[in-house]
Amino acid sequence: MSYIQVDHLRKTFTVRKKREKGSLLRERETVTALQDLSFQIDKGELVGYIGPNGAGKSTTVKILSGILTPDSGEVLVDGRTPWLERREHVRHIGVVFGQRMQLWWDVPILDSYDLLREIYRVPEADYKKRLDELAEALQLGDLLRTPLRLMSLGQRMRAELCGSLLHRPGLLFLDEPTIGLDAVSKLALRDFLRWENREHGTTVLLTTHDMEDISALCSRVMVLGHGQKLYDGSLPALLSRYDTSRTVIVRFEDAEIQPQLPEGAVLSREGELVKIVYAPQEIPTPDLVALLQKAGPIREMTIQPQNIDYLIASMYREMDL
Amino acid sequence: MRSYLSAFRLRWKMELQYRGAMIGGIICQIMFGLILIALYRALYASKPQEMPIEHVVTYVWLQQAFFRMLLASDADLLDKIRSGGIAYDLCRPLSLYGFYYARIMAQKMTGSLMRAVPMLVFASLLPKGWGISLPASVPALLCALAGLVLGLLCVSALENITMAFTMKTLDPRGIQAMLNMLMMVLSGNILPLTLFPDSWQKVITLLPYAQLLDAPIRLYTGDTPLSEAPRILALQAGWIVVLTALGILLWNRHQKQIIVQGG
Amino acid sequence: MNTIKLYLRSMIMLIRCQLEYPVSFFLQTFAQFIMEGSEMLAVILIVDRFGRVNQWEAGDLFFFFGMMSVTFYLTEIFGRGITGNFPYLIRTGQMDTILLRPRGVLTQVLCSATDPRRITCVGIGIVSLVIGSNLAKIQWTWLKALAMAEAVMLGGVLILGLFLIEAIFVIYSVKSVELVNALTYGGRSACEYPVDIFPKPLRILFTAIAPFALVLHVPSGYILGKPLYSWPAWTAFVCPLSGTVFFAIIYCFFRLALRHYRSTGS
Repeated sequence: MSYIQVDHLRKTFTVRKKREKGSLLRERETVTALQDLSFQIDKGELVGYIGPNGAGKSTTVKILSGILTPDSGEVLVDGRTPWLERREHVRHIGVVFGQRMQLWWDVPILDSYDLLREIYRVPEADYKKRLDELAEALQLGDLLRTPLRLMSLGQRMRAELCGSLLHRPGLLFLDEPTIGLDAVSKLALRDFLRWENREHGTTVLLTTHDMEDISALCSRVMVLGHGQKLYDGSLPALLSRYDTSRTVIVRFEDAEIQPQLPEGAVLSREGELVKIVYAPQEIPTPDLVALLQKAGPIREMTIQPQNIDYLIASMYREMDL
Repeated sequence: MRSYLSAFRLRWKMELQYRGAMIGGIICQIMFGLILIALYRALYASKPQEMPIEHVVTYVWLQQAFFRMLLASDADLLDKIRSGGIAYDLCRPLSLYGFYYARIMAQKMTGSLMRAVPMLVFASLLPKGWGISLPASVPALLCALAGLVLGLLCVSALENITMAFTMKTLDPRGIQAMLNMLMMVLSGNILPLTLFPDSWQKVITLLPYAQLLDAPIRLYTGDTPLSEAPRILALQAGWIVVLTALGILLWNRHQKQIIVQGG
Repeated sequence: MNTIKLYLRSMIMLIRCQLEYPVSFFLQTFAQFIMEGSEMLAVILIVDRFGRVNQWEAGDLFFFFGMMSVTFYLTEIFGRGITGNFPYLIRTGQMDTILLRPRGVLTQVLCSATDPRRITCVGIGIVSLVIGSNLAKIQWTWLKALAMAEAVMLGGVLILGLFLIEAIFVIYSVKSVELVNALTYGGRSACEYPVDIFPKPLRILFTAIAPFALVLHVPSGYILGKPLYSWPAWTAFVCPLSGTVFFAIIYCFFRLALRHYRSTGS
């Protein structure tokens, strides 16, 4: 029995369309958010959940967290059905929405945490230990007495994360946690999530558009499109299908050198740099490198894979999303 | 002038969008009117007064119908100040005073006209003693309308002064609440001024708060005879001049301060 | 009792948040004072001009006014979560955050807001009660004090029920939520005065539908020694229970509304 078990989840919404000119009533439209979703997640996994907007990712998270009831299908999280045993289920999960803050705005975050402790009925000693641990891991020490409204976005996110983990949930849902964060904050957040997952075995479901997050954190990724699961496996395996080109950037000692290249390789010059775009399936990289070395002494060479967002876009295109 | 008109039109469109809420609001207002009238009728039954009950009833209906004109409630302003959008206003090539004046007036007019008409239609259909009565005479009606327009200008000027203070303090809630409270009491909304003790009425009717609704309503019902109309209208005009002058003064002073602060 | 502890701590924190903006806070509290003061002024002026209504004299009128003021504004102080904050919670999606916490929904809603500015209004209500009590020469007994306490508490329950209707309307995205205001605020304005001075339709409205009269006026009549409709004394203790009945009925609809919310998302 997996930690999270989802079987044939289905959810539709009735949406009122914009009022047509001249008609009195609004037409109703049924939108299928989730068609027939099934998957399993084991305890301690760190899973990425991606898909274009409107694919049904938020709907899935809402159902799994118990705030939305599905039309049909079964969900068991740690043996409980989320929407039927709301209070008990919610006691053991943490949720962080990228845009919405659950902490109170005008008071020091320490006071927010205190109230959360009351809400989740965390014993005093446990709370103290956990707060110290999280404050250290998230580097919140000085910020504890600061109200949320005086913090930067990166600091707020760290504060939110701390708040959502105080009650030691076994399962953490993250919805776009790194949106709007600067590079340093993003890295720090990823480090923290890796630590939390490793140290406490917290299962994490990460919904995001940021592919760097996924490749840094998740060994497993699920792709959702049009309410259906389109892929469930490792990220490298997913991308390898679409990973069809590389770019080599070479700076020769002699800037005038014109390397001889096989068919299919596209050459362009940018000042002193020579850029070659090729398909590694057709031209193995070592072969190309050898050819370049033969052309002349090389001062510097970089081999770049395709940009990951590019790959995902190709994937979406192919999956017709 | 055109820009003032466009500010007006924008406001009108906004109000139209919230139709559903408006209908609920109208029903709510009518309910209040009926309750107040029932109360005054019960009071009158116990101890009849000099002033006919019909005048009091008319007073209540007109107060309820034009209720929106009383209140200062620019919710947008609060957000604008918080977000700093005020800076955009400062960059406009209009006189700030005039701009906000037009804005305030537009808000009051659009909000109340759309509710007043259905309410007054309803009130006219009610039986005598419950519904609104006809004006004392045609000249009385004309004077009342003039009084309403002047009253609107007067209160808009008053609110514009509050606005100047709001610009300074950056938190309109407290000051606007104060103005609203004063308006509610001294304009005759909570209790018709005609039911106040006579000695009090002499003073309150001189204040600018009473000019918006109390003055025109008395002209309408004939409680203020036509002979007094010029005096009343002149009083209103006088207040308009004073409050406008004061407003412009304050705005000019604050405008310099705001620019210095940098928003 | 844990729930009460949570409620108290939430209240304290909310008040601290509001005191972050002290000037605005005190200005608004003062404005409230003026507003309620002017409502009381209306009563004073009415008493001055009319003296009495039917069998109700000056002291009685002050007493009725005071009962409504104290009840209504105490409810706004302690029940603001329901009385004013609920639509905001639903519109901003904070209801989701509430559903994600292991506590009852209504508990959390009550913990979400408070309006301590209304304390001045309660104060004025108390003043009115004292004036009324003196003028009407009420003979106080423990039983009467009990009736008053019961009326105030169950009046609060009734008012919470009325505002719960508003919350239900918001969940179902009913456009004209203001209709409920007619009942709630209309009821407050009307029932500042004894209900029997009003014509039949209003009397029925505030006795059978939104039973302000049963909850507040029957006990008030008993305390003043002028029982409403000459009903017997025990009605002063039984009629207020209608407030609880009203709340219970609305609460059932509220549960349905919550279920609807959870099946349609925000």
